[in-house]
Amino acid sequence: MVSAFDKLAHPVQKWVRSRGWRELRKIQADAIHAIVDSDDDLIISASTAAGKTEAAFLPLISQVLVDPAQTGGFDLLYVGPLKALITDQAMRLEDICHNAEIPVYPWHGDVSASVKSRALKAPKGILLITPESLEAMFIRRGLEVPRLFGAIRAVVIDELHSVLDSERGVQMRSLLTRLEIAVKRPIRRVGLSATLGDMKLASAYLRPDKAESVTLMEAKGGESELLLQVRGYVAGNEDDDDDTLAAEASVAAHLFKHLRGSDNLVFAGARQSVEKYADSLRELCERAHLPQEFYPHHASLSREHRDFVEDRLKDANLPTTAICTSTLELGIDIGDVTCVAQVGAPFSVASLRQRLGRSGRREGQPAVLRQYAVELRHDSASNFVDRLRLGLVRTIAMIELLLEGWCEPPRPDALHLSTLVHQVLSVIAERGGAKADRLHRVLCQEGPFRQVSVEMFLGVLRSLGKPETGLIEQSSDGLLLLGPKGEKLAEHHRFYAVFQTPEEFRLIADGKELGTLPITNILTPGMLLIFSGRRWLVQEIHALERVIIVQPAKTGVPPRFGGDPGAIHDRVIERMFDLFESELEPAYMDPTALDMLKEARKNYAWMGFSSSPVIETSEDSHILATRRGTAKNCTLALALGAKGFKVEQHDGFLSVWTHESCDGLMQVLRCVAGGEDMDLFAHSPNLVFEKFHEHLTPELLQQDAHSCRLDVSSLQSTASMLVGTNLEETDAGPTIEPSKK
Amino acid sequence: MSRLKPRERDAIVQALRAGVVPKLGLRHIQVGRVREIEELVKDMDRISGGGSAIRFIVGEYGSGKTFFMNLIRLVALEKGLVVMFADLAPDRRLHASGGQARGLYAEMARNLSTRTKPDGGALASVVERFVSTAHRESEERDLPTDNVIREKLAYFEELTGGFQFSEVVRRYWEGHETGDGELKASALRWLRGEFATRTDARKALGVRTIIDDASVYDHLKLMSAFVCEAGYKGLLVGMDEMVNLYKLTSAQARNSNYEQLLRILNDVLQGSAQNLGFLMGGTPEFLTNTRRGLYSYEALQSRLAENTFVRDDLVDMSGPVIRLASLTPEDLYVLLENLRRVVHGEESPLPDDALKAFMHHCSQRIGEAYFRTPRNTVTAFVNLLAVLDQNPGVEWSDLIEQVEVSEDQGDDLSDVDEATGAQPSERDDDLVSFQL
Repeated sequence: MVSAFDKLAHPVQKWVRSRGWRELRKIQADAIHAIVDSDDDLIISASTAAGKTEAAFLPLISQVLVDPAQTGGFDLLYVGPLKALITDQAMRLEDICHNAEIPVYPWHGDVSASVKSRALKAPKGILLITPESLEAMFIRRGLEVPRLFGAIRAVVIDELHSVLDSERGVQMRSLLTRLEIAVKRPIRRVGLSATLGDMKLASAYLRPDKAESVTLMEAKGGESELLLQVRGYVAGNEDDDDDTLAAEASVAAHLFKHLRGSDNLVFAGARQSVEKYADSLRELCERAHLPQEFYPHHASLSREHRDFVEDRLKDANLPTTAICTSTLELGIDIGDVTCVAQVGAPFSVASLRQRLGRSGRREGQPAVLRQYAVELRHDSASNFVDRLRLGLVRTIAMIELLLEGWCEPPRPDALHLSTLVHQVLSVIAERGGAKADRLHRVLCQEGPFRQVSVEMFLGVLRSLGKPETGLIEQSSDGLLLLGPKGEKLAEHHRFYAVFQTPEEFRLIADGKELGTLPITNILTPGMLLIFSGRRWLVQEIHALERVIIVQPAKTGVPPRFGGDPGAIHDRVIERMFDLFESELEPAYMDPTALDMLKEARKNYAWMGFSSSPVIETSEDSHILATRRGTAKNCTLALALGAKGFKVEQHDGFLSVWTHESCDGLMQVLRCVAGGEDMDLFAHSPNLVFEKFHEHLTPELLQQDAHSCRLDVSSLQSTASMLVGTNLEETDAGPTIEPSKK
Repeated sequence: MSRLKPRERDAIVQALRAGVVPKLGLRHIQVGRVREIEELVKDMDRISGGGSAIRFIVGEYGSGKTFFMNLIRLVALEKGLVVMFADLAPDRRLHASGGQARGLYAEMARNLSTRTKPDGGALASVVERFVSTAHRESEERDLPTDNVIREKLAYFEELTGGFQFSEVVRRYWEGHETGDGELKASALRWLRGEFATRTDARKALGVRTIIDDASVYDHLKLMSAFVCEAGYKGLLVGMDEMVNLYKLTSAQARNSNYEQLLRILNDVLQGSAQNLGFLMGGTPEFLTNTRRGLYSYEALQSRLAENTFVRDDLVDMSGPVIRLASLTPEDLYVLLENLRRVVHGEESPLPDDALKAFMHHCSQRIGEAYFRTPRNTVTAFVNLLAVLDQNPGVEWSDLIEQVEVSEDQGDDLSDVDEATGAQPSERDDDLVSFQL
């Protein structure tokens, strides 16, 4: 049999020898065989620094050399999510291609116009691009796309695990389909991914029609080292229940001690706490007479400031730590840091993995995650959320799942209507006009929006075409064109990105502004939310103006923390309850954190959740242990809200307050369990989450929410679980399990 | 009417079956629109007499704009004019910054036709004719040819870009004299607008400018002066598919293109252009849409507004806008008769009754639209004739009921089918007939 090395073209072999490698790694040899011997799509999954890039590009470049294209156009396309990553990969590929005389063109917002115009003039070789720049190419050079990509052999998608079913992932899938239509043939897709628990998800993403024909290739072992610590901090005590200052100060001191002198990212929750931490770290620098290297980075800072921070991070000579909000996932374009620190719980395993992936990219460097959990000292009046230490438990549950290689699967029936709006406008701009049947064919039949029915698709077009929306208009022969507002929108470079950093909502009570809060979950008037240690009743939501009118709620002691954004998956909640009910003591937790976990377990048992899912805390208030993720939890909350209850959402729990006018809680739950229809949208909740949602009608938004933020089908089973067990419990009586210390 | 040549017959049949306008033998099938043609013929006379003209030919998809423009094109060629025709496209327009305007000029220059070379590619013979005229003159006057050319083109230097233009023509002569084929070819390339950069042009010809996006109209004016010097009567510029300007996504791009149109319109209507005519084809929407059509540009709207006295039975053909009237049933009948004669000769197996039956069938199928847009009817009819021709046993009455005619659908999805390897699928009616 011909060895993998022999299958490479001569200049590539020469490069491999010049590197002094004794042999190709197994994943590289496998990939070479797979790419040279077949035309199948391929996913190469391995940990960072395992040589994935070379595994994909050595054989692909060889193919370009052995069989040069007859027509003009780029030979290979690489799509990567971060500018920094593209710059980095371009340097690595240039090294390989230098002897082979294949040009390598990085292409993103920061690449100079001269490089771009050179690439456009004689398209050839390898193009490395972000999804947004590819989008821009379609919109601004739609007619040139067939010329530019006429010779394309393969698309390499880096960091496949990070996009999957996000808005950006759907956009990328749509762009790949459009690219195939433009060049009139299928293009081989090669995905580079971190190891995921269920790689089938990735193959279905890569080639939805023929997921089974995608070759999966996994590198065993070779994991780069992961350094991980969860540190617990207790805030406040009996004498001084004033605030959390002391705990925060010690977190800041710890950060200062360990992060100074290198490039790092700190995710510190909401904007206020970002500013607080940035300020105390700056103070620490000043006090020690050291240069300032900690900078805040969030969406409401000016573009210049954010660019300054990002540039500093890219500069290898200036150690810099950016402190950012938890919701700023994609908005920050930084590829390579020493350490990632998080204050407060992460909200999805996927994002945790993504964040972690930003550190330890260099060979021989470990990925470092420092997780800080600040929890309140318990006293007699503490809320159950604080007693159960939900934030800490969620953190541990997510880290456990991360270590198992699990991550949130996409919801296959999600409609992604916001992204659909974006793609409709983009196809129209690309072609200078398109008819409804073409749009439907390209996007909903060939493209990723297959869950969207014809009727719904036409509904989307109609809502875009309404005169007050004005995004599209129609000429007499049926051709859809960009309307006055659509033209303005598509002209601006901000249009190319389909995702947006969630804008924080302003909370206003009695005309006074309380502050801002990131909202990524459905919220409806009548719900309760926690802000700055107080509980507020939502009165009105103005989604477009990003304003929530609240009034103080007069109910019991609020939890100290709460109101975290993010959709928590069922599996995470399940794991949280497993943690409550098991004795596991993870090695990565410091003693304080372990003590906190034990305390939480003790409280869990004392409060009776191990035997009953419904606990009556006072005459008019209950805690429901729904053991469900955000989507199902929120569905139940909306259903109860429609019946007049005031509801507060927590991870896997709901706090419910009744008042005279409503029926008994158990009675309502029984009705729900019996399958009664509930009007979830009775109080017109906030449904505008994604960038283009504001252009859609409420009906479409409700359908979109049903498809990905809610889960109506679960309503009955959740309610029966709550009712059913409760009935048994009245027979058996509550039992309190003794807890071990 | 002159006899139909076999070559013309084949060209007509093939073109009509594909739904495009034949380039030859139009007079054999032309019907109706007599007033319009008369008016345009007058225009051609005006151009050859040193005047100028501009006409917007406005009609629905498939109403015969292109046919009509081609007919006028043939008239112009007969009258000794040089014609430059091109279709606008997203990458060929009047004003642009990315080479699209130069693309339009290059396309026109490639299609440049004269009476002896009616199928395009006549630029070389025009230049050749110019230099040989100059050469002959120089022999008569016993002067160096170079001087005569200089003399003939002297006034060019007052026109925008004229100096470089005449420089290039002299280079052509140089190549002609020294037998330097490459120099000649470069000069022609320059005149065809095919040089993309100044550097290339300077290397090849030693001139410092090229025909670029900004100078397209100026070069059309130069070209009209040049063809007159070469002994032709004038220049007719034809631009079809103007609706592509309407479809431009950026309001700014549309306005800059309309600005160019305004410049042309002003020059022509004020009489400052000489021996130059423009013929532009577009849909009614392109003209009248006030958000993105010509009417969105106020200066154009006031100039192109239709005569308010025109009503159903009154016409005014003197304005710059000519709306193609619907064909009458009688016109259509004559059209079908003409087609029958073209395909089958004088003795057709298809009786007159069949023509009536066919028309009846079509009008039932697509209603009133079939008078406005003859293209589909014509295609269907030619197909019917072809089947009858090749299957002598078949009765026409059996076939007519099966004839499929549909309204014109601009966009087609064959490229998507090709990309995905799918069979052309049934279209969903909701999508095809979607209205906002």
